[in-house]
Amino acid sequence: MASTLLNGRNGPALRAALVYLYVGFALFLLLGLLGLTMRLAHAEALPMDPALYDQFFTLHGAGMIAAVLLGAMGGIVAVLSPHVHLDLRLLWIGFVLYLLGVCYIPIAVLLGGFSAGWTVLYPLPVAYQAGWTSWSAFAFLLGYLFVALGFGVWCLAVLLGTAGTYGGLRRAMAWPLVFSGGRATGPQPYLQDIVATVIAIYGIGSVLVGAVYLIPLFGQNLSLSGAVNALLMKNLVFLFGHNMVNLTIYLGAGLVYSILPLYAGRPWKTSWLSAFVINLLFVSMLLPFFHHMYQDFVNTVPLHLIGEIGSYGSGLPVLLVTILGGLGLVYRAGMRWAVPSILILIGFWGWVFGGIGALVDATIPINQIYHNTLWVPAHFHTYYLLGAVAFVWAFLYHLTADLSGHREPGLSRTAAWLYGIGGAGFVLMFFIAGAAGMPRRYAIPVAGTGETTLAAIGSAFTALLGLALAWLAYDLLRQLRPAWRRTLGASTEPTVRPTGGAAT
Amino acid sequence: MNPWVPFVVFLVIGTAWTVAWGWTIARAGGPPAAYDPIYRGGGWIRRRLFAALIVVLGAAFLASLWWLPYRGVAASRLGAPTARVTVTARMWQWTLSRTQTPAGTPVEFDVTSVDVNHGFGIYGASGHLVAQVQAMPGYTNHLIVRLQPGRYVVRCLEYCGVPHIGMLTAFDVK
Repeated sequence: MASTLLNGRNGPALRAALVYLYVGFALFLLLGLLGLTMRLAHAEALPMDPALYDQFFTLHGAGMIAAVLLGAMGGIVAVLSPHVHLDLRLLWIGFVLYLLGVCYIPIAVLLGGFSAGWTVLYPLPVAYQAGWTSWSAFAFLLGYLFVALGFGVWCLAVLLGTAGTYGGLRRAMAWPLVFSGGRATGPQPYLQDIVATVIAIYGIGSVLVGAVYLIPLFGQNLSLSGAVNALLMKNLVFLFGHNMVNLTIYLGAGLVYSILPLYAGRPWKTSWLSAFVINLLFVSMLLPFFHHMYQDFVNTVPLHLIGEIGSYGSGLPVLLVTILGGLGLVYRAGMRWAVPSILILIGFWGWVFGGIGALVDATIPINQIYHNTLWVPAHFHTYYLLGAVAFVWAFLYHLTADLSGHREPGLSRTAAWLYGIGGAGFVLMFFIAGAAGMPRRYAIPVAGTGETTLAAIGSAFTALLGLALAWLAYDLLRQLRPAWRRTLGASTEPTVRPTGGAAT
Repeated sequence: MNPWVPFVVFLVIGTAWTVAWGWTIARAGGPPAAYDPIYRGGGWIRRRLFAALIVVLGAAFLASLWWLPYRGVAASRLGAPTARVTVTARMWQWTLSRTQTPAGTPVEFDVTSVDVNHGFGIYGASGHLVAQVQAMPGYTNHLIVRLQPGRYVVRCLEYCGVPHIGMLTAFDVK
């Protein structure tokens, strides 16, 4: 069976993509188990020391972001590789740096007891009376530094690749089309190429923000410098964290642009509107970050209002262009139902459902009573687990099936739907507990919030989600060897050139 | 604000979205139809939905301005504070300058921290979160609230180390 992604020269890039994706998926499964144990602990079905709980949520939070981002990076390598020359050395250097960073995190947490949460809110990481050692804080920060560096190197590889293919970054971002109001003629970049380029530029900016945040922390950790402004640091860390999560989601959307048309049998063309909203990410991804700071009243009211308007505004292009475009693509399309297409449609549901929860929380008076409750993990788990994550693992499944020629059994499609049902039940319990006022990052349930019962129900749904994932993981494992071998074989298939579809 | 009101609004909108999504998915299979009319129909829906969302979200934004918790707006809405409580957070305890405040009248909490970030969360007798503000080292945040009589529990809502869960205090409103 002919592969839609493999051609005569991109086998090495696809192998890099497989490594990124499979390592990311393995990390995701492992850290998902930690998530389940935390829900069981809240359900009082599993005794857990609060100190261990705090270590688990630090590991789970930091690791999940890193795992899914790594998978998304691999996916983008795969979709670019047929027509964009990616520097393999940069891809592997980026991967090694990234993995090195990931390895530091469990060392810091499980051996050194570091548990300041994945947001490492200054000055907590260097407040050692909280229960961890100086070296463990250093190791954790080093982990973040290497992950950021690895991601930065990957961004560089993407930018060099797309700029080389399209004759400059402007063209790779479809600026001639965007700024001509859609009148530009000739082939345009694929949507996924525009997403990759925009996110890579944004990613390098985010890495720089992360570096600015980490420098004073390293300075204080090594006793080279004193305290710095806590408000400035809070803005920096939320800007960095907000960006890393959001750009993962949009990379996932880039993968959807690439493979959903194959299952719907219809093209997702590069129109002026779609190219415009992808470029709009430079603003629409940035402005909402102020909503993380609503409860820091000293951050000045105009910034809070920008956060609220930005949060409302950022939802519009997602809903009106990507989601509506995707639903239009599949409507009465004679859809080919397969694990990837099912996961993508679940991802549409989760992205919007979680987005509604996010907009509710982004409304400042409501944030007064929902901020730092379980409403926060509720909405981000919804658009992450049931949005970005579903997109990325949909692509992983598509890639391995595409390369291995594997024909999935019906049970795998059932597992994909169960992923959605298990995930939806799991997050709904979070939403209810959040509305009831249950604080997030609490090692024990608070009486009167119903959290123990809700966590028990949530655990059952999480177990269902886990079973579905276990089946899909088994399926993926079986496909890995034939997929890998396929990339090693010489191919005579022609190289796909960027055509992208004319502007419509 | 009753915390279940936004939850119900969320559930209603979320259910509407789920129905629309399910309706589309149910029609994704079967014999394929021509795409061009669907593409054009999508554009028609997009334009109307855009206009509707601008109106709804614009109204939500304007309405939220009146309910902002920030000092100037809160004082305009609730009146000038008649009592003031200084709140100092430190790992892992709260120090309140007074543990009894007047009922039914605006009270200002001046909240700061001497070490790391903490979250000053006020829980009512029903167990629901009534209001909150961050306690940040080097800054003082001013929270103005009008509370009904009863006993209120203060919980830390910003993770501050393993003993974070035990960082509690209480005050009475009479």
